[in-house]
Amino acid sequence: MSKTAKVTVDGRSVDVPDNSNALEACRAAGVEVPHFCYHPGLSIVGQCRMCMVEIEGMPKIAASCTVPIRDGMVIKTDTEKAHAARNSTMEFLLINHPLDCPICDQAGECKLQDNAVTGGLPVSRTSEARRQYPGYERTDIGKHVIADMTRCIQCTRCIRFCEEITETGELSFIERGGHTIVWTHEGRALDNELSGCAADVCPVGALTTKEFRFRKRAWWLDKTRSVCTGCEVGCNIAVEHKDRVVHRFIPRVNADVNDFWICDFGRFRSEELNEQELFRPVVRGKETSWGDAQDAIKAAVDAAQKDVLVLGSAKLSTETNWLAAQLFGKHLGANVEFVVDRGDRHRVKNKKADGNVAGWLEGYEAAPNSRGAEAAGVTRGGDTGALAAVLTGTLLPKVIIVLDAAFSAKAEDPAVIAALRKAGTLIVCSRRRSALAAAADVLLPVGGVHNDEGTFVNVQGRVQRFDCAYIPPPIVRTQLEILTHLGKKWGLFDTRWTARSVFEEMRATVPGYAGLDWDSPALVGSAPSASPAAPHDVLEAPAKGGLGLPALQEVGS
Amino acid sequence: MSKTPVPKGFTPVHSARFGKKGSQKLAGYEADGGYASWKKVAKGWKSGDFTPAKIIDMVKASGLRGRGGAGFPTGLKWTFVPPKEKRGGKPVYLLCNADESEPGTFKDRLIMEEDPHQLLEGMLIASAALDVKHAYIYIRGEMVRCAEVLNEAVAEAYAAGYLGKDILGSGLDIDLTVHRGAGAYICGEETALIESLEGKRGHPRIKPPFPAVSGVWDCPTVVNNVETLAAVKFILDNGPEWFKGMGRNEKNTGPKLYCVSGHVEKPGVYEAPMGIKFMDLLALCGGMKGGKKLKAVIPGGASAAILTAAEVADLPMDFDGVAAAKSMLGSAAIMVMDETTDIPKAVTNISKFFAHESCGQCTPCREGTPWLNKMLKRLIKGEGKRDDLDLLLQISNQMGNGMTICVFSDAAIAPVISGITKFRDEFEAYLSKAKAPDFALAAPAEVTPKVADRVAEGIHG
Amino acid sequence: MSGGPNLPSAQIAGNPPVGEHGALSCGKALKFSPEARKRVDHLLTRYPTKQAALLPTLWEAQREWGWISREAVDHVAEVLELAPAFVWGVVTFYTMYNRAPVGKHLIQFCTSISCHLADAEGVYAECRKRLGDLKPGETSKDGKFTVIEVECLAQCDKAPAVMVNDDDYAVITKDNLDSFLGGLK
Repeated sequence: MSKTAKVTVDGRSVDVPDNSNALEACRAAGVEVPHFCYHPGLSIVGQCRMCMVEIEGMPKIAASCTVPIRDGMVIKTDTEKAHAARNSTMEFLLINHPLDCPICDQAGECKLQDNAVTGGLPVSRTSEARRQYPGYERTDIGKHVIADMTRCIQCTRCIRFCEEITETGELSFIERGGHTIVWTHEGRALDNELSGCAADVCPVGALTTKEFRFRKRAWWLDKTRSVCTGCEVGCNIAVEHKDRVVHRFIPRVNADVNDFWICDFGRFRSEELNEQELFRPVVRGKETSWGDAQDAIKAAVDAAQKDVLVLGSAKLSTETNWLAAQLFGKHLGANVEFVVDRGDRHRVKNKKADGNVAGWLEGYEAAPNSRGAEAAGVTRGGDTGALAAVLTGTLLPKVIIVLDAAFSAKAEDPAVIAALRKAGTLIVCSRRRSALAAAADVLLPVGGVHNDEGTFVNVQGRVQRFDCAYIPPPIVRTQLEILTHLGKKWGLFDTRWTARSVFEEMRATVPGYAGLDWDSPALVGSAPSASPAAPHDVLEAPAKGGLGLPALQEVGS
Repeated sequence: MSKTPVPKGFTPVHSARFGKKGSQKLAGYEADGGYASWKKVAKGWKSGDFTPAKIIDMVKASGLRGRGGAGFPTGLKWTFVPPKEKRGGKPVYLLCNADESEPGTFKDRLIMEEDPHQLLEGMLIASAALDVKHAYIYIRGEMVRCAEVLNEAVAEAYAAGYLGKDILGSGLDIDLTVHRGAGAYICGEETALIESLEGKRGHPRIKPPFPAVSGVWDCPTVVNNVETLAAVKFILDNGPEWFKGMGRNEKNTGPKLYCVSGHVEKPGVYEAPMGIKFMDLLALCGGMKGGKKLKAVIPGGASAAILTAAEVADLPMDFDGVAAAKSMLGSAAIMVMDETTDIPKAVTNISKFFAHESCGQCTPCREGTPWLNKMLKRLIKGEGKRDDLDLLLQISNQMGNGMTICVFSDAAIAPVISGITKFRDEFEAYLSKAKAPDFALAAPAEVTPKVADRVAEGIHG
Repeated sequence: MSGGPNLPSAQIAGNPPVGEHGALSCGKALKFSPEARKRVDHLLTRYPTKQAALLPTLWEAQREWGWISREAVDHVAEVLELAPAFVWGVVTFYTMYNRAPVGKHLIQFCTSISCHLADAEGVYAECRKRLGDLKPGETSKDGKFTVIEVECLAQCDKAPAVMVNDDDYAVITKDNLDSFLGGLK
């Protein structure tokens, strides 16, 4: 239990934890002191000398990130001396900077650019030649990261990241003084499971990720709160997109889950969201309307008389799984089951609130929501489940409904497809063309996780909400929509239901959801940050949910 | 090493045995009364005749101030180490700062080369006073032969039982290791020295915490200069009153080694009571070389502000005396410049040193030191511009006074500011000779040198 | 220009191009001789952490191989359980670790202020000229001499001061340069 101290920042009094530094105290008071090397997830080095402030009783100007606060401290950020000091640091940083913002992909989310715009001198006083780094420009230093030393401001965030967070130490200061660069040891690459975060923490364009470089200017990007679906850890991410194209994922701060980081595996799955290949319902090889497709499903299910297997999915929201469990399980008496793959270990580091690195949070399941699906009343299948029985041929349901064609790697196995195909009617929801989709009697085009909202339950049992980046393309529906429409056929559901209303409906019965509030910060997480290098510079207050129209979509467009 | 003269009536202390045959050897040292104080301390340790408090009080009473540059009272520094019960079981380390790299300084080298046991004895006494179990001498990498002499002395001291376990039956266990640096001026800054000893790049640390509380390996650490630690031995030998009896006043006490170089007849290390007048010191050195006129003096190493001949005319060479002239005694590295000296070129040379030696952590220093050097180089090449001098002063003022983690950049700007303000006409003369237009269009880009050009070159400034 | 945004990653993954600041390869994997390893093991007993032995261990490496190659860094990093990038960062911070082979006599001219006042730069230039117009840091064709400029050697009373390998030389001027060089066999 940490104590608090009372600090005055520019005349405003604020209570902050007594282990804060002056920069953090200023931030708590709503005063953002410009900085580069300070990062809330990394150790303090105080070497960029940007966050200079005056502190009463200290004779010299001080770098606020290096000053531990004490009760009664009076900090002044808005004095002539403080401005002069910060302007001075900006001048020093810019005398050798190439000023190549027009061709720099960091532009728009660059702390050097931001701080030059908000402060600094209007003209350059240097006429000396700028330093160059032949051989250290635009160079791949790892699988995902490109380095350009001409833009580096030697803040060491990336070095500290690789030392303190990934503990791999691939990067180091090389040389010294004005020749200092940040690089790997010759013959070795920046290669760790979180390497994309090294580019995230870079406040300038010195480290950028290959996958995102030159895809979109940062200021055009709309940002939507989401949760990574790569594994059960459930890292908080922002899906960044424009004009119905997803361009990248960046981490959203959540001290209890992923802190400031996400793994490369999760980060670079973003392109998958653009892979929408199916656009119309198909019934027995013929493109058709939703009405006909629903009629075909209802007829098949009614005829099957409970001899139905519905495969939910740990990749779908708890809300969607709950609707499936309610409709097919509770009402129609069918088998509703999901299976989840145990995949490679993925992990992310987080720290406890006391600031000590607590360690890695690991996930093995290749899906984000097995706990939510189970809580929603869908049976966790295994070696003895219904699907297993289908595969061994001991169970032969008349109808099989696959709510998510990508529910498991098994869905690509021809033997599995053949076994499923033995059902009288095989109904499949899918985004992409696949062997399973091709085998379906009824094929329903669905959108991705970014086309809907809902909640997942992560490996810690934490319920986390994800928002809708943009609604699916015309005609394509989400599984939640499909289920509410089907449910209406049996007189159960209302087609006006959204994930939120389903969430409110199911709260009473689903374990772990009692008392939760759709809009509570615990569910919503933090707002996307203005840039990955500035994790706490959020765009606005948490938005209200609402299908397809999260308030954030308006920002920046 | 030939002996240098001393002022009349002064008996040399540190330098008494310099130049004597076999002065480095233990036998000779003991024959001259060496290790007597250490034996006294060791003998009195169990009986309580000697206690840490007693030694610290003696050092405090002597008025000894750090001989490395900052002149901080040594006894006071020692009291900052937390008492045993507040150290949480952590050991205390004593580090001897032998990273003598300040241009113009060569006194510690002489102590270590000529009379290493006086340093070892001082360190042993300090270790006992500070509850140190392992002391290190961080010697600069360039002093290879000097490190060899030290290592031999340490081996002798171990063999004689002055170092090691249960020293002379006192119950004291003290180890000592000589650690060689590898070429970095900044490692003379005490927290950079600590980082370097830990096996890292020599980046000065943010203070607080100060080393006395959390230094090397996060343990309480005392860092003292070679001459300072050697002085501890003499304070124990002769008593604090004797030490205090020397010097200009009670804040500037003891004998002092002055390193005189530049345009004097006999450059060398001269020992004198603290506070000797500059002119008296110059006389000891045989006066100006070739009888030329004195133009300027750097009184305390390259980090100190340049003083004019007029300013040193009656200057007492001690901490407060030189500080009153708005410069510093520093490591007492006195560089004397005659009337032929080209001050802008000298300042450019010093600025090159600082550009080369900046560790590169803090923006103002990393960017500012090369900027100053580039401008000065351009200026003396005859390509100066009208506003350059003012810009040089402005940039300098943007680098010091808390803008950086350590005081390196304050040191880097002192010669530039003092040089330009005191010898502005000489700089203006370069400007008036300038041939370049008032703007630089196609200046060749500065390129970080390639390995081929820089093979152990040392200087890439 | 090495590298570029569109390099196929097979070409780069794990193997960034050799740049000017990178450690040069000596062409073969290195390992301390048993004697050197013994000295390193002794060093380790003098410090509470392995990392603290880095500077002396690098000295051992330089003594063993004459200069610090990429492979030497790799071996030292392995022995002390450090990241190779960190070790290389330390090597490049200090000026005395040779990053390429040097001549039999590494002649180091001090050009700091006291020696500057005694025209050390002139002697330095003259020395390079007499050894065959060597560039700073260049090694003579016969492999005997490498001439470099260094900072203050703490021999300011003997300006211009010079250090050859580990030995100090006093007052080297243009006049006695020939006899100085002649003395270096």
